[in-house]
Amino acid sequence: MKRFAPLSLGVALAALTALPASAQDRVQIEWWYAVNGRLGDLAQEIITRFNASQDQYEVVGTYKGNYEESMAAMVAAYRVGQQPTILMAAERGFMTMLNSGAVVPVNQLMAAQGYDVDWDDFIAPVAGFYVVDGEPAALPFNSSTPILWYNADQFRAAGFDGPADTWQELEQQLYTLKAQGISECPMVLNGDFQWGMLENYSAINDMPWGTKANGFDGLDTEFVYNTTGVVDQATRMGKWMEDGVLHLAGEGMNPQQMYIAETCATLIASTAGHAGVEQGAQFDWSATYLPHEAGITPKNSTIGGGALWVVNGKSDAEYAGAAAFLNFVSSPELQSWWSGETGYVPVTNTAYETMRDAGYFEAHPTREIAILQLSRGTPSDNSRGFRFGNHNQATAILVEEMQAIWTGQKTAQQALDSAVARGNDILRQYERIHAGR
Amino acid sequence: MVERNPWLTFVCYLILAVGAAIVCVPLYLSFVAGSLDYVRLQQAPFPLLPGDNFWANITEAWQKADFSRLYLNSLIVTLGIVAGKILISLMAAFAITYFRFPFRMTMFWLIFISMMLPIEARIIPTYEAIADVGGPLRDLFAATGLTGLIHTVTGYRLEMAMNWNLINSYPGLILPLIASASATFLFRQFFMTVPDELLEAAKLDNAGPVRFFFDILLPLSRSNVAALAVILFIGNWNQYLWPMLFTTTPDMRTVILGLRSLVPGPDQPPAWNLSMAAAFFVMLPPALVVIFLQRAMTRGVVDGDK
Amino acid sequence: MLAAKSGSTITGGAPSRPFSALWARIMRAQQNAAVNGLKTTHFRKPGVAFWLLAPQALILLFFFYIPAYKALSLAFVETDPFGLSVIFVGFDNFTRLFASPAYRASAVLSLVFTLVQSVLTLGLATALAFATDRVVRGQAFFKGVILLPYAIAPVASGTIFAFMFNPNVGPMAHMLHAMGLPWNPAMRPLDAQVLVVMAAVWNHLCYDYIFLVAALLSVPRSLMEAAALDGAGAVKRFFTVSLPIIMPTFFFLMIMNLIYGLFDTFGLIETMTRGGPAAATNTLVYKVYQDGFVQLDLGSSAAQSVVLMGIAMAFTILQFRAVERRVNYTG
Repeated sequence: MKRFAPLSLGVALAALTALPASAQDRVQIEWWYAVNGRLGDLAQEIITRFNASQDQYEVVGTYKGNYEESMAAMVAAYRVGQQPTILMAAERGFMTMLNSGAVVPVNQLMAAQGYDVDWDDFIAPVAGFYVVDGEPAALPFNSSTPILWYNADQFRAAGFDGPADTWQELEQQLYTLKAQGISECPMVLNGDFQWGMLENYSAINDMPWGTKANGFDGLDTEFVYNTTGVVDQATRMGKWMEDGVLHLAGEGMNPQQMYIAETCATLIASTAGHAGVEQGAQFDWSATYLPHEAGITPKNSTIGGGALWVVNGKSDAEYAGAAAFLNFVSSPELQSWWSGETGYVPVTNTAYETMRDAGYFEAHPTREIAILQLSRGTPSDNSRGFRFGNHNQATAILVEEMQAIWTGQKTAQQALDSAVARGNDILRQYERIHAGR
Repeated sequence: MVERNPWLTFVCYLILAVGAAIVCVPLYLSFVAGSLDYVRLQQAPFPLLPGDNFWANITEAWQKADFSRLYLNSLIVTLGIVAGKILISLMAAFAITYFRFPFRMTMFWLIFISMMLPIEARIIPTYEAIADVGGPLRDLFAATGLTGLIHTVTGYRLEMAMNWNLINSYPGLILPLIASASATFLFRQFFMTVPDELLEAAKLDNAGPVRFFFDILLPLSRSNVAALAVILFIGNWNQYLWPMLFTTTPDMRTVILGLRSLVPGPDQPPAWNLSMAAAFFVMLPPALVVIFLQRAMTRGVVDGDK
Repeated sequence: MLAAKSGSTITGGAPSRPFSALWARIMRAQQNAAVNGLKTTHFRKPGVAFWLLAPQALILLFFFYIPAYKALSLAFVETDPFGLSVIFVGFDNFTRLFASPAYRASAVLSLVFTLVQSVLTLGLATALAFATDRVVRGQAFFKGVILLPYAIAPVASGTIFAFMFNPNVGPMAHMLHAMGLPWNPAMRPLDAQVLVVMAAVWNHLCYDYIFLVAALLSVPRSLMEAAALDGAGAVKRFFTVSLPIIMPTFFFLMIMNLIYGLFDTFGLIETMTRGGPAAATNTLVYKVYQDGFVQLDLGSSAAQSVVLMGIAMAFTILQFRAVERRVNYTG
């Protein structure tokens, strides 16, 4: 028996000492981001540039899946003290991050590290969302908004100059594209369709998604989108789906690629799609504002995409590096380069003006749609954005219920009623846990 | 067989042929898909014969997900689990069947209750257990006041010494998967069938437990150990959920995670040719084991119940 | 008791000598097991036993019992994802869970899926095992081929099936479309469910098959010959002689299939449908993962874990009995 104990102990020790160790001279800053493909390559290029620009810090960037997946990875890591220093999180995760007690507000970080950031320079729709009580909670970085992408060749072939302004007219156009055999797939549904076709629909048409100014005025907010025109929009989507006007890309098919490959005539998706479309489209592609209901004055669309959050529990050296990196990415030069390459909105006025003065938007008119759409009109309580706790959860439920419409299990009203009821449970739970914050 | 019945024999071959086809057609189709280039894959009709891009796809998939590293990880983790599990199971089963000691039945049940409780049912707590193995000990010492005592007496901060994080480490991937008693159960079942006369004889020779174990029990168990090794190898090579949760850095992933990262999801280009090519080299080691060690495996599956 | 009954059938009350010796040995081992699982001849060295058991006990403590205890305690609280505020809520998570139509739908789905998958797998495996038992030429070849999926990870099987039945590029989907079927697992819940069942059967068939082939081999030839002399055909012999004898194996496999269907299909679902569309393939285990690890609803997920643990416990006991019974018989 004596032979056994030392043996198993030896195995355990050998295994324990095999822990990966990293010895680097530079301070390593971990950044988890949620963009891949062409956008991921560009994020890596920023890192390369930053690392080359100085010799104290080394940013290590990791793609952690989409926004939901990277948020989940971050939470799991935080619970066990393995969190990254910087996390890219979507607007959907805003409240979760803000009230988490796990973040260092960026303005505090920047001030503590001796950087002077002109927070007033951030463009209004971006600042309006990310500033809470006068303090920006995260650094807006890859901000975007959905726009309507279309195939100009196909629209011309059907006798249209371009997509109509209203959903009613657009519907006719899409049915015409199908009927004339110009496109088998007049519109393809994007992966985050709830953002472009439901939430922003609600904002642009000035309908409340929830009470308390969509959550801006308190945690005791409730979803109400099952009582507004969103129901008609969901019904419309179900009908389009049934008539083969709206298509689902499905697993292993990329909606943007179906647009680029001229399989599908239109697509409602983020302005950040420019990176991929410009690279791949071999036809007369274009983009325009999202449609609105007939007979109304459309409001602004809402800000989406990612912001950079600084996570607490890190060393001073890491925070110094994080601040240096945030300072680097918010510089006008980098911002206009990033915006130009990706299609994301330039987040500061300086960057926007730099691009405008250089004539960039005359040469690339579709690049300006997002920023113009974001700043259209005076924002109302319904169009400032969405601040709901655990919004990822409520969104997953909404998507699941929307699927029940086109799988024929529920009517739009039933599906949205159910989504609202389930979503409100989540809001109440969030309110209970975060009472007093 | 007992009598000749050509018609029945024909039906049997037919059934077997259908069965073989059910198994082989998916494998063949995935091989063909893995041999096509990205553009051809998306065109209908799907070709019946393979294209000539197989090696190109293999190479691309291999590099894309850094399979050199992942293969090493998978080998270390799988072999670690196989060796660890067999070792501790043999020891525990030996103790349970051949020793009389206080609380023997309590230990027996404590081990066997854990037998089939699937790890999927306790995902998050286990994740935290891996990330902070010392946590329960710290709590215990803190609760008993030992931490403070040691700190005041020696100045040594006990709780600092108990920060063992096993996320992204080989032990973190290995230890929790050893924590199931199925192998112990197998050995216990086997030891039960070993004739008592052997131990009686050994005792007459004045052999102690160690000598009895190594000279008699272990040689008798050899084929069971081999069979179990084969089965554990296949099962653990193919683990997915666990390594997915316990790794956060790309270079600690296993081959199955690498394969998963190549499966096109929504919003991703349909590069099925790469994932199908990757499926081949991911499946290769266990497939070779099944083909070459079939006898041992069959024996192990049937006798081992796991 | 089943063993004793079939034992007397087999031997017709006049066992041959080697067989009865084996039988006596098994019975003695069984009696010991029934009493306390301890050898009649054994060591009395608690110290040695302690060291032998220590590694297993420690690993179980840290990676099984403590996590299981934590899962249990998490089920009674509400907490934010970061674990910074925790509220004790008693059985709220459970009442919420059982009141949730989504959870009940998931439970029903898991049950139906598991049953359908088990019956199909077992039926197909029985036919194949029967045929394998009958043929002489090519037996090894067919065995080898049919066993092959045993090597294949659920993730790999899922990937292969997801590809074959992908409505855009999959060859099998093309075939179904050509037959005029509107196959699309991303849009049609039933298609997604069928897809998962197919992949699960394909992946698990070999397991049942190995057991059944082995069990059929253990049916005594003498008995088959006696039945043949009585004029029973091969199929009739299978049902009257073989089937009763392999019944314990059947029972055991049924339980193993249920366990597989309930717990081991995570990789298949994750690669093929991700629980969709409209939660059509969101089984209990997939839901625990989604709600807990992806959606970060820790309280509910922990309550679901506890329910799953209960189910697993029940199966453990069943399986334990099935194994004892089977071992009882085959020795």
